[in-house]
Amino acid sequence: MLVLEEVHKTYHMGETEVHALRGVDLTIEDESFVVVMGPSGSGKSTLMHLVGCLDTPTKGHVIYDGADLGALSSRQRANYRADQVGFVFQKFNLVGTLTALENVELPLLLQDAPAGVARDKAAHALESVGLKSRMKHRPSKLSGGEQQRVAIARALVNEPRWILADEPTGNLDTTTGEYILGLLEGFVGEDRSVMLVTHNPEIAKIADVLVEICDGQIESLTKKSVKQVVTS
Amino acid sequence: MKLNLWKLAANNIRSRRTRSWLTILGVLIGVTAVVALMSIGSGVEQAVLQQFEDIGYDILIVTPTGDEGSSIAATRNAMMAGMGTEMRGSMRPATEMDTETSGGIFDPSAIGQSSDSQGTGEDSTVAGQMPFAFSAENVDPERLVSMVPDVVQAGNYTTAVMGVEGPGASGFLRVSTPSASFLQDFPSFLGGWKLADGSGFTDVGINQVVVGARSADNLGVNVGDALIIRDERFVVSGILAPSGVAEEGVESAGEPQTGLARSGNTVLTGGRSTTILTGLTNTDDALFVLEERAAELWDDLGVATTIVRVAQGADIDASRNSIETAMSAVGTGVSVISVAEMAGSIQSTLGLIETVLACIAAVALLVGAVGLMNTMYTAVLERRQEIGILKAVGATDGQVLTLFLIDSGLMGLVGGVLGLGIGAVLSFVGARFVGPMLGVTTFSPLFSAGLIFGVLAFSFILGGISGAWPAWRGSRLNPVEALASE
Ligand SMILES: Nc1ncnc2c1ncn2[C@@H]1O[C@H](COP(=O)(O)OP(=O)(O)OP(=O)(O)O)[C@@H](O)[C@H]1O
Ligand SMILES: [Mg+2]
Repeated sequence: MLVLEEVHKTYHMGETEVHALRGVDLTIEDESFVVVMGPSGSGKSTLMHLVGCLDTPTKGHVIYDGADLGALSSRQRANYRADQVGFVFQKFNLVGTLTALENVELPLLLQDAPAGVARDKAAHALESVGLKSRMKHRPSKLSGGEQQRVAIARALVNEPRWILADEPTGNLDTTTGEYILGLLEGFVGEDRSVMLVTHNPEIAKIADVLVEICDGQIESLTKKSVKQVVTS
Repeated sequence: MKLNLWKLAANNIRSRRTRSWLTILGVLIGVTAVVALMSIGSGVEQAVLQQFEDIGYDILIVTPTGDEGSSIAATRNAMMAGMGTEMRGSMRPATEMDTETSGGIFDPSAIGQSSDSQGTGEDSTVAGQMPFAFSAENVDPERLVSMVPDVVQAGNYTTAVMGVEGPGASGFLRVSTPSASFLQDFPSFLGGWKLADGSGFTDVGINQVVVGARSADNLGVNVGDALIIRDERFVVSGILAPSGVAEEGVESAGEPQTGLARSGNTVLTGGRSTTILTGLTNTDDALFVLEERAAELWDDLGVATTIVRVAQGADIDASRNSIETAMSAVGTGVSVISVAEMAGSIQSTLGLIETVLACIAAVALLVGAVGLMNTMYTAVLERRQEIGILKAVGATDGQVLTLFLIDSGLMGLVGGVLGLGIGAVLSFVGARFVGPMLGVTTFSPLFSAGLIFGVLAFSFILGGISGAWPAWRGSRLNPVEALASE
């Protein structure tokens, strides 16, 4: 279970302060397909980063399965990112000097997995996103959709409990985007959740939890299972 | 995991090929400098010390100073400073020799020599510059042996520059006059007295001359040929094998001396080292006439240098004092210097030169290290996004740090390995040129295991250290900010 308590995030840009998040309270059950929507600059990415332990809140707590992520050491946060979450970004973020297969192996090898095991798992993950024939290609030799599929393979190769996808279809055409979203939706299941930032209202319809966020605050929270709309 | 980081680091080096190679080149130049200079330095030192060892550390060189003892220190200083004018044999006109007195060549075999006064007024200038060439009385070797218990052997040796006419050329050459017993007792002092041809001195009754290898070449003589030395006719009874001591810029008659070789000589060695080590064993440019014979022909041979061998295990310093005291008691002021002392002095000079060379090399290496640091700093800036990615997929700060350390260490190591190879080649090539300049032809650079492994380990560590600060900065990047950078 993921709990956010009164979470604030403030960025300092010289003299000015940017309040990216101002008091977010949120509780999300396991095995959820969470969709986060909101206008540009509303704090969606910031929220993702806090949940994924890429950053720490300025105030408040992000609690995952009872553990306060803000209290973890740098090393523990790295381990959390390695074990619990997989990121998918809008701009793919693959390592350009590595092949598709090597990119997918990376999280495993950073975790000291034996080379052979890592290779097999990575190949399997690439196969599951339909890229069996592109394993030896560098990112620059792949289309945008293919790159994003590599990124998804990399995100799920460690069998994380969360996939955090920040506008994964933002740089893709509609058809490719739909394929990608299908992959992510299919990931949700036994002890596996997805948090997806998107501007696509169609996706919002199939979300278990729809978080609408504006100006750093949650505007509305829709939980499908309980069919209940909380409006602030 | 470690293996994967190595692969990733190697990947990064490869993907920035040109810059990586330029960086490696910087390290390589530094390492090359270190390897070449150090191996040549220790090679030269070893070769030089070998020469002294060949002569023997039980040898003392005794020079009469003329007036009793008062100028001992001055004389010794003069000897050590190489103030003795360069008096080696020369196939050039004497006037040219005069212009060359700045070389500071110290030549023990030239100690106590008198110049050839026959018809060469120019030479008197040279003689005048010898602080110990006046009115000194020869040491009687037998008496010295009997007076000082530690002295087991002693022999006299005179050197004079004389006009020599050969079949091929004529000029002024150094003529040394060892006695028959000197040849027996101190062959090491004459480069081992190895005859390449002929039988040496066979008869004290006739005019025989043994000719140094290069002199023989220059004069164009073979065994059995005749030579005119100071108007006396001599028969060449032997030609010495080349001493292995390099030519000190002595050319055949008429060939002009190149200023370059001369200045190179002085600059590289500071004068002193060259001179002692060439002087002690350089028989190549000299002619040898038995003292017994020379004494009958000429009565102006000048003051003899007395070479003394002390008993095995005797204290060299004590022996030196005893000799000085004993000789002073009989009214002959002498200056005594030991081969060990010379070696020590040379060694400290060479040590200084080696230190200077090492410093130069260190500067080169430092420049390489700064270049490496610069490259790593740029690399960290450029790879911010990659750092962000690595952190997002679970890399710890330590792993990111290690990645960059390996990266820079690897470049350092590659630079080290290549530098070691190129430095080795360079030092062997360099030895060909440096050896002759230093007066040692039989010299090769010295590669100790310490140097090799030291250089390799050092260059890897240097790479690591140079990369440490950039790597640390990279590892501390906030992943979100790192990802946001292009
Ligand atoms: N590193 C940062 N330094 C300063 N300000 C930042 C930083 N990251 C985000 N912000 C600011 O915080 C606010 C929220 O940013 P965030 O990226 O979370 O928005 P977003 O909802 O993801 O927008 P978009 O839809 O454009 O991606 C914005 O005003 C942004 O300018
Ligand atoms: Mg965003």
